[in-house]
Amino acid sequence: MSDEKIIEIRNLTRVYGDGVEIRALDGVDIDIEPGEFLAIVGPSGSGKSTLLHQIGILDTPTSGTILLKGVDITKMSDRERSKTRNRELGFIFQYHHLLPDFNALENVMMPLLIKGVKRSEAKKIALDLLEEVGLSDRIHHRTTQLSGGENQRVAIARALVNNPSIVIGDEPTGNLDSKKSDSIYELLRRLNREHNQTFILVTHDEQMAAKTDRVIRIVDGKVVEDSRDGVPVREI
Amino acid sequence: MFELDIAMKHIRSRHRQTLFSIIAVGLSVAIIVVSMSMLSGYTSILIDSTVEKQAHITVLPKENEDYIHLYHGLEKHVYDMEGVEAVSPYFQGEAALQHRHDVEGVVLYGINPEDENRVVNRERDMFAGEFTSLANPGSRIVLGYKLAKNLDVGMGDTVTAQIPESGPTDFTITGIFRTGTPADETTAFANLERIQDFYGAGGVVTGMGVRISDVYTAETLANGIEIETGYDAISWIEQNADILNLLETSESMVYFFYVIIFAISGFGIANILIMIVMEKVGEIGMLMAMGAPRRSILLIFLLEAGILGMAGVMIGAVLGYVSCLLIASYTIPVPPEMYFGMDHLPIVINAENFVTAGVFAMVINIIAGMFPARRASKMNPVEAIQSV
Repeated sequence: MSDEKIIEIRNLTRVYGDGVEIRALDGVDIDIEPGEFLAIVGPSGSGKSTLLHQIGILDTPTSGTILLKGVDITKMSDRERSKTRNRELGFIFQYHHLLPDFNALENVMMPLLIKGVKRSEAKKIALDLLEEVGLSDRIHHRTTQLSGGENQRVAIARALVNNPSIVIGDEPTGNLDSKKSDSIYELLRRLNREHNQTFILVTHDEQMAAKTDRVIRIVDGKVVEDSRDGVPVREI
Repeated sequence: MFELDIAMKHIRSRHRQTLFSIIAVGLSVAIIVVSMSMLSGYTSILIDSTVEKQAHITVLPKENEDYIHLYHGLEKHVYDMEGVEAVSPYFQGEAALQHRHDVEGVVLYGINPEDENRVVNRERDMFAGEFTSLANPGSRIVLGYKLAKNLDVGMGDTVTAQIPESGPTDFTITGIFRTGTPADETTAFANLERIQDFYGAGGVVTGMGVRISDVYTAETLANGIEIETGYDAISWIEQNADILNLLETSESMVYFFYVIIFAISGFGIANILIMIVMEKVGEIGMLMAMGAPRRSILLIFLLEAGILGMAGVMIGAVLGYVSCLLIASYTIPVPPEMYFGMDHLPIVINAENFVTAGVFAMVINIIAGMFPARRASKMNPVEAIQSV
């Protein structure tokens, strides 16, 4: 792996509440390299989703910095944040969050249309990705006509359609049974290999986490474990 | 334009509710178009009848004088002014008309019927007989319809005119007019020379009626006459200032009601948008995660307000137009003297009213859409995504 970091998180702190203070993140330091496939694990309320929202530029930290390709995303204007989310990030959530009024193809095209890509071109890219996730025959189906696993595949295609450098998954298989969950995991793994994009998955599924290249464990807003293939990345 | 795609899908996915809010906007536009067309109708009838039933400009004696002396020169001078079409000198006096035991106070005009007809078409209002019968300098008189009724007289009957300065004089009725205005009860016409004799005021008149080609230049022309001749000149606009003011006041009052009617339909639009925003919170969050800027989220919901409003305006315009045609074609049995001789509801269909109502509705709908649209665009993406 290269020495260049795609994400450098320094002393990241996020405090919620204006009466009772909750330190959801408390001085987190993490470096992530391009193409990594890593899991953030931890018990409920440990701060793992909060960390993901910070990396996803959906929330702003109370203090600390996050460099994405060397640029501090915590200092960005609202408009720059939107643009960066659109260009650099792909999101997969526990619930697929597909637009219910649109069919699978239209949903996958959406990030490209937001980016301003021409419709015909967007369609071509979206069709390729839908084929890659194994849904070429379901492109005109709406979310209500697709199974949970299929919807999640559409959501994955949508997350990848803008060719982002980082794909963020917040419990991407949390809503699926173990069989479907495995196949979604395999899909993500394959895409990670083929596209060489960085995958950051938040999960409380320890089995799945164990299959990833690197596990970052968070408890009470602090990183308590950071190991690659069982070997600590650094001293905590 | 993904914003438009999403806006259209939102509207289509709730077609029943959106239909009702479109109908609400449509009805309000239709009501307002009809009401504006009727107001335009009343205004134009009022102005037309005012302009048709009186001289556009009336020239009166100089201040502190009772008569216009040597009026032929003034008549010619005014007639030669640009925009003047006709001039009719008249002698106006008060008199009591008597027939048997009935006596009525009247305003008696001495006129030259040909000149007078050119200034105000009296001939058209004749109910019986001819106005031009007054060309003969004999003792002939033309009365208003109600006046004749009150005196219980008809064509060929004789009425006796009395004034303090002169002895009673008999006039033969050679015509009866009916204008549908209060003049029918108080006015009588006779030959100018005969009336000058009757009042013992030969060679003078008390005023001059002037007809001009463009009625809206009356003010300017009247000022011109005053400056050039020194005589007092009053335009129809000045003379009817009260009624014109009343029209303006009622128009602004009506606008107040328009705002209320539109506001009600605006609430319908706001309501449906609030519902859509509430239902689409997760979707809004996801759009933000995909990189849609807040501006786009705002635009999506404003577009929805705009599309609903536009559909409503179009339906309302058609509905309003058809209603106007129906109302205009309906004959109402009202006594003609009650409403300026009208037997139809006056409707003037002009594009301006449609444009005003349409723009007005759109503006209010966009304002109504502003609140839910802003609320959607200000959402916190994390909270929005987690709301599902």
